[in-house]
Amino acid sequence: MVFGSWLCLLAPLAGFLAILLLGTRITRRQAGALSTFAVFAGFAGAVIAFVDAWGRDAHDRVEVTTAWTWLQAGDFQAGLTLLVDPLSLVMMLVVTGIGGLIVLYSNGYMAGSDEERRYFAYMSFFVFAMLMLVMGGNLLLLLVGWGLVGLASYLLIGFDHHRPAAVAAAKKAFVVNTIGDAAMALALFLAIAKIGSLDYGTVFSAAEDGVLSDTVVTLLALGLLAGAVAKSAQIPLHTWLPDAMEGPTPVSALIHAATMVTAGVYLICRTHPIFEAAPDIQHLAALLGLATLLVAGLVALVQWDIKRVIAYSTMSQIGYMFLGAGIGAYGFAMFHLVTHAFFKALLFLAAGLVIHHLDGEQDIRKMGGLRRFMPYTHATFLVGSLALVGIPIFAGFWSKDAILASALAYGGSLGWVLYVGGLIGTLLTGLYTFRLYFRVFHGEPAGKAREAAAHHGEGARSMLVPVGVLAVGSTVVGLLAIPGVWEPFETWLEPAVEPLVHPSTGEEWLTSLVAVVLGVLGILLARRAFTAGRELVPDGAVRDTLEHKLWFDELYDAVVSRPAQLVALLLRDRVEAPVVHGGLDEVAEGTLRGAAITGSAQTGLLRTYALAFTVAVAVLTLVFLVTR
Amino acid sequence: MLTTALIVVPFAGAILVWVLPLSRESTSGLALLVALAEVGLWLGSARNFDFGSEVPQYATTQQWFDELGISYAVGLYGFQFWLVGLTIVVGACVVGYASWAERERPRAYFGLLLFLVGSLVGVFAAQDLIVFYVFFEAMLIPIYVLVGVWGGPQRVKATVTFVIYTMVGSLLMLASIIVLGISQGTFSLAEMGTSTNDWVFLGFLAAFAVKAPLLPFHGWLRIAYTEAPPEVSAILSGLVSKAAVFGLVWIVLPHFPEPVEDFRTLVLVLAAATLAYGSVLAFRQPDIRGVLAYSSMGQMGLIVLGIFAVNDLGLDGAVLHSVNHGLVSAGFFLLAGMIEARAGTGVFSELGGMAKGRPYLATLVMILGMFTLAVPGSTNFAAEFAILAGVFDRGWGYAAIGVLAMVLAALYALRLISAILHERRGSAVREDAGDLVGGELILLVPLVAILAVLTAWPAGITERSFPADEPAAFIGSQEGIGTP
Repeated sequence: MVFGSWLCLLAPLAGFLAILLLGTRITRRQAGALSTFAVFAGFAGAVIAFVDAWGRDAHDRVEVTTAWTWLQAGDFQAGLTLLVDPLSLVMMLVVTGIGGLIVLYSNGYMAGSDEERRYFAYMSFFVFAMLMLVMGGNLLLLLVGWGLVGLASYLLIGFDHHRPAAVAAAKKAFVVNTIGDAAMALALFLAIAKIGSLDYGTVFSAAEDGVLSDTVVTLLALGLLAGAVAKSAQIPLHTWLPDAMEGPTPVSALIHAATMVTAGVYLICRTHPIFEAAPDIQHLAALLGLATLLVAGLVALVQWDIKRVIAYSTMSQIGYMFLGAGIGAYGFAMFHLVTHAFFKALLFLAAGLVIHHLDGEQDIRKMGGLRRFMPYTHATFLVGSLALVGIPIFAGFWSKDAILASALAYGGSLGWVLYVGGLIGTLLTGLYTFRLYFRVFHGEPAGKAREAAAHHGEGARSMLVPVGVLAVGSTVVGLLAIPGVWEPFETWLEPAVEPLVHPSTGEEWLTSLVAVVLGVLGILLARRAFTAGRELVPDGAVRDTLEHKLWFDELYDAVVSRPAQLVALLLRDRVEAPVVHGGLDEVAEGTLRGAAITGSAQTGLLRTYALAFTVAVAVLTLVFLVTR
Repeated sequence: MLTTALIVVPFAGAILVWVLPLSRESTSGLALLVALAEVGLWLGSARNFDFGSEVPQYATTQQWFDELGISYAVGLYGFQFWLVGLTIVVGACVVGYASWAERERPRAYFGLLLFLVGSLVGVFAAQDLIVFYVFFEAMLIPIYVLVGVWGGPQRVKATVTFVIYTMVGSLLMLASIIVLGISQGTFSLAEMGTSTNDWVFLGFLAAFAVKAPLLPFHGWLRIAYTEAPPEVSAILSGLVSKAAVFGLVWIVLPHFPEPVEDFRTLVLVLAAATLAYGSVLAFRQPDIRGVLAYSSMGQMGLIVLGIFAVNDLGLDGAVLHSVNHGLVSAGFFLLAGMIEARAGTGVFSELGGMAKGRPYLATLVMILGMFTLAVPGSTNFAAEFAILAGVFDRGWGYAAIGVLAMVLAALYALRLISAILHERRGSAVREDAGDLVGGELILLVPLVAILAVLTAWPAGITERSFPADEPAAFIGSQEGIGTP
């Protein structure tokens, strides 16, 4: 396990460094191959570790290795420690597996773009950072990985740095994420102050043993939750994710769908003892997840950009994961994370095929009828859509319904609110997903789609193969958790994260029935609206509000950005400039004038100082001695 | 003896450069040789350095004025070893930059630079107050001349401003030193006991608050950092400000335990305000050096927060961050000079789009920018984390301001990066303005390489700054060593 884990972590890092150091000595194509190889080597490492762990006894699947002490001061120390257990193994497999496919796809997608080498260096770096996040054996390394993925995200969103929109989106993402990092950092300071350590084991046992006061535990959980909410684009720190679609499409697939944005879910599962000790905060996570899944689902109904629709869908699906993690259904939340990684990466990559085919067109009003010209893309996109809506046997069906069933089993008013809200979300999912599907693939081609009809082929093989693999995955991976029949995924995770709720088989199948009916209803409504040539949300105040994404951006601009800039300007012009410099200018000019009067400016200056200096020292010495 | 050698070599080099009637090339070559010899000497001293020792390493003590208790006493503890190393490495890069930049009157210029490096080493190696003071003042003279003669259009005003501030600080410190030394009967830092005199404490504090600088003693900062030649700005922000760190850690904390206790809140508030104020202003500066200047100010506030936390995390973090900040800000000022050399300006509205076709420049701006904003995992992050975790113990508000400053740092560093590299090509950026050349890379790459090593292993410094890695206990144990 140890060897595999280090291989998994270090291979992408080696790829990054190699591309960085080799520079222009390798061709763009070679850089892509190197990056792909590095990430798949990481996947091989993850598989080695997984197979090793699989062969062991269920409670012996944990390895902790420390390379060296990273930071030490007095009694505090934090090592460069890896923790490999069933939970991190799942994440390692997803990150390197899906990551490898997406990097492979990038070889075709990015071909011919400027600065491909930089792109592949960043992608390798991202995979390394994400692995650091999920494999780090203490909260400090978690925070490090947390920040580094934010950095990679910043670099990749702003990859086309000559486009102002991309640069602005990159900065926005980085800043919002840094706010989350800052909250997490505060929680970590608190942990150091109260517990003296950031090692998972020490912190968790302190939380479980009740040696910490309620306030401390609540603040700890709150800080971690703030980080999770920012990274996973949940309300109220969600505004950066739609803008992040300015990045290249494979980046959206990898970072802003499959892996990084789901890190918040991983965080809650990893640090669940802290959240369980602060149940109010854990419930808050569930409620934020519910709010996000509904809001994002509604906003997705009115978007015109193919990637933004999928981005809102991502927010919405992560909302389900938060909902699950918030009621202690860790296994199902993680399972939805895995299935979502497959079908959302699939949707993005298929959308990438469309965009690539249409020379960069992303507006779905200028698409349509692509089914005829892009049959392969159409089939795979349809698979992804069905998995997203949760139609049996596709992956989303198994995972999303399990989360909802857990809400039902959780019971109480909270459980019911989450249950009903989540079911409404299923209807919304059907609506926005199939609005998109019909708009893109059915009807008559418009705009660019018509011009592109003459093009042949749907993309390079390096792009089509990953899409195919993901389509197969989106179909079968759900079968790892069939309620009451075969549930290896939950069994695998249980030793690492014991769930708080266990829905009965009956509850699961009942929920599935209702959810499927709602999902199909959504699809049918979307189809009816499409054939009638109507939009799902008619023009008016509601649509207006949704198109403005509930005015969050405007609100933050008015409440945070503008006042902050105003304060900075005021400080610069009204405080710093006149008070400090103005006052000093007079002193300086006075001195120069005085010096000029005494004769030659140079010697006068020196003499004045020498005299003043001696007198002042003498006076001060006296004063100090007397007051002593 | 080795410590003395580290001090003497640059001074000797300075005199040689002054005296020998060499050509421009030979002069810069000789200066570079001296600077590199100094680096070699320092690396050699690392081999047998005992970081755990309770006594200073490579120490020399020579009675000077016996009856006054003044001696020439120098020697290195771990944290001094790192500050000296920082000085020597950055000093070598600066000499390299100056030889590349072809300053007028090279003999005087290189002589002054080496003189400055020697004085800084002396400051950081001092074990006696008078030795400290002599080197502290000696360090200021070359700065006055370097800024006043070789500076930008407003160099005279910059120099006068700087002189006024530092003179006021210096005279307060001199008075404090005299009073402290006379009342203790010795000027030796090791033999000196503790003092409860608030005024003497405040005299030292004022001097170091100007040097750091802390709010509201920073009036000299902007104009000095902007008008000085870039390599002198690099020394000012990277090295000279660390004299304040040394003074606070090694003079103020051990010898004024009670005043430190009494005035801790005041200093912490000032430091936090400096951090916030510097970071906010950095966000709104119109040019590269303005951002760097106020960012430096903020970072010094952060370091002082760590020092006045007076605990293990804070002190270790402060030492580590002194090294980090020295390397990053010196590197960035040199880089700013290289950019200004290409564009003729550092003003953002005329810059932009430099990434395209200039991969080395882009990579270095990006890397140094990431260190400036203390990207998680970097050595700057490790230091900031330790400092804020340390000061959290003294009040969560300081740590909260600290993390807020981290967000601000992200804002201003990203703005800086974008303004130089991204979007449309600025009016001052000619299409054929070249990428960094080998001679420039060789100055910056070593700095980045050291930062990379520290990023992998910040504990390399934090474990090796104070005996037994117990800074608070060690500083505390310095109280009254010599008192009966």
